[in-house]
Amino acid sequence: MKGPQDSATVARVQVSFRLNGVSFRKRVPVDWTLLRYLREGLGYYGTKCGCEIGDCGACTVLYDGVALNACLILAPQVDGVDIWTIEGVAPQGERGLHPVQQAFVERGAVHCGFCTPGFVMSTIALFLETRNPSRQEIKEALAGNLCRCTGYIQILDAVKTAASRLRDRDLKKFVSRRR
Amino acid sequence: MIDVTTYIRPGSLEEALDVLASGEFTPLAGGTDLIPHARGRGPRKMLDLSGLSLDRVTRTASSIEVGACATHSELCRDAVVTKALPLLSKAAALVGTKQVRNRGTLGGNVVNASPCADTVPALLNHDAVAVLVSKDARRKVPVEAFITGPYATCIGPNELLTSIVCEPLEKPTFVSFLKLGRRQAVNISRMSLAVCLMMDGKGSIKGARVSAGAVFPVARRMREVERLLAGESPSKRLFAEAGALAAQLMVKESGVRWSTPYKRPVLAALLERALAEAASGNFGEQ
Ligand SMILES: Cc1cc2nc3c(=O)[nH]c(=O)nc-3n(C[C@H](O)[C@H](O)[C@H](O)COP(=O)(O)OP(=O)(O)OC[C@H]3O[C@@H](n4cnc5c(N)ncnc54)[C@H](O)[C@@H]3O)c2cc1C
Repeated sequence: MKGPQDSATVARVQVSFRLNGVSFRKRVPVDWTLLRYLREGLGYYGTKCGCEIGDCGACTVLYDGVALNACLILAPQVDGVDIWTIEGVAPQGERGLHPVQQAFVERGAVHCGFCTPGFVMSTIALFLETRNPSRQEIKEALAGNLCRCTGYIQILDAVKTAASRLRDRDLKKFVSRRR
Repeated sequence: MIDVTTYIRPGSLEEALDVLASGEFTPLAGGTDLIPHARGRGPRKMLDLSGLSLDRVTRTASSIEVGACATHSELCRDAVVTKALPLLSKAAALVGTKQVRNRGTLGGNVVNASPCADTVPALLNHDAVAVLVSKDARRKVPVEAFITGPYATCIGPNELLTSIVCEPLEKPTFVSFLKLGRRQAVNISRMSLAVCLMMDGKGSIKGARVSAGAVFPVARRMREVERLLAGESPSKRLFAEAGALAAQLMVKESGVRWSTPYKRPVLAALLERALAEAASGNFGEQ
């Protein structure tokens, strides 16, 4: 059984996970979602809290290489998982943005910016599945992310632009070692 | 805040069933139904099923056994499911969003038993049987009997659904799955239809399977419609008759409600379209 033997009586569970390439070992509250734990437990506020019922996609993270809503995951479930959030997307130690972020900026796909981290994570998850997605595939991959100001055309264009520039090394770190 | 007081993730089925025997734990699969509803509904002890390897698809001589924890994304992708149970993979492809399909499971969809659960009409067409296990017993219940009402099933508090066994249909069978909702994604079904037409060698319908979701209080086969179709050759007139019969059954069973003037013609038209699409063979054959 994973977790401590006293897990039936305590409200925290010991977990080990990777976040943006860094290993963590933490005791997490059993009644927190991953979304709340990222934000309030670890101070990673890039992942946004929108509807908290899986509708809006603002809390989308990369979870073992696929897009998931952090509001629908319990914090104790992350044991052994490889998580990426928007904070880890730009190349470490280098200046500048990731090609997906750069394309969002250039194509005017960011307006108020609240939905952007979620869209970027869904886009990276899509590229991990297919490097050259059709417009239909892009729409399907992003249907779980809502934007209430920019509109979707600029976002679709940004994903197309990013696809045309992407190199293998732009995706390498996101590939989960568990899949 | 969600009201979770305890979380455990056993590494084996035996362990999980021991824990469940207390009757105090709630099984947690993908959590896409459970977690949004765990807020303010009283404390729960969560039993995470993800360590039990219940996500496998296995093929036996006459049937296909799909693990309860297979995600909708896995049902869309799995080579055995897409080939032998195309209705199920189509239904799974139409669930929610990418994020929800990556997490939500077949077992969760069935046990949650929403009248609009998308995989259920597909499962009914395959005479699917739920495999339920507890510490000291194992039983098999047809999915049709397993779901006893809206959001109600006959599962016991000490039982787990471990898999669902589906019967592939004999060839050639033409299928179609249509889902109607307010928009394309994050779309809770207003109505869904699963259709299988088993053809004889001469172009006639040997037998039919027709199931409807979100039409009756509980998703069910429409055997009256199936009987109407059996032995006939496909035609626009036949399919229109089938649609009209389905609408009649709906009104008879669910009564006249505020939504009936909308639903009656829409169900008739949707079934007509699903049958035509199946008969055309364009949608999928198995
Ligand atoms: C944004 C959004 C959109 C959605 N859209 C759709 C849609 O279009 N169509 C649709 O059908 N559904 C939809 N859903 C509902 C949900 O995603 C599905 O019903 C999903 O399949 C549930 O599976 P789960 O693994 O997440 O279940 P969970 O939430 O983990 O569990 C659901 C229930 O089943 C029980 N349970 C789960 N697995 C087992 C098991 N193996 N044995 C015993 N009990 C078990 C749990 O205790 C709980 O009561 C949507 C949900 C969201 C959040």
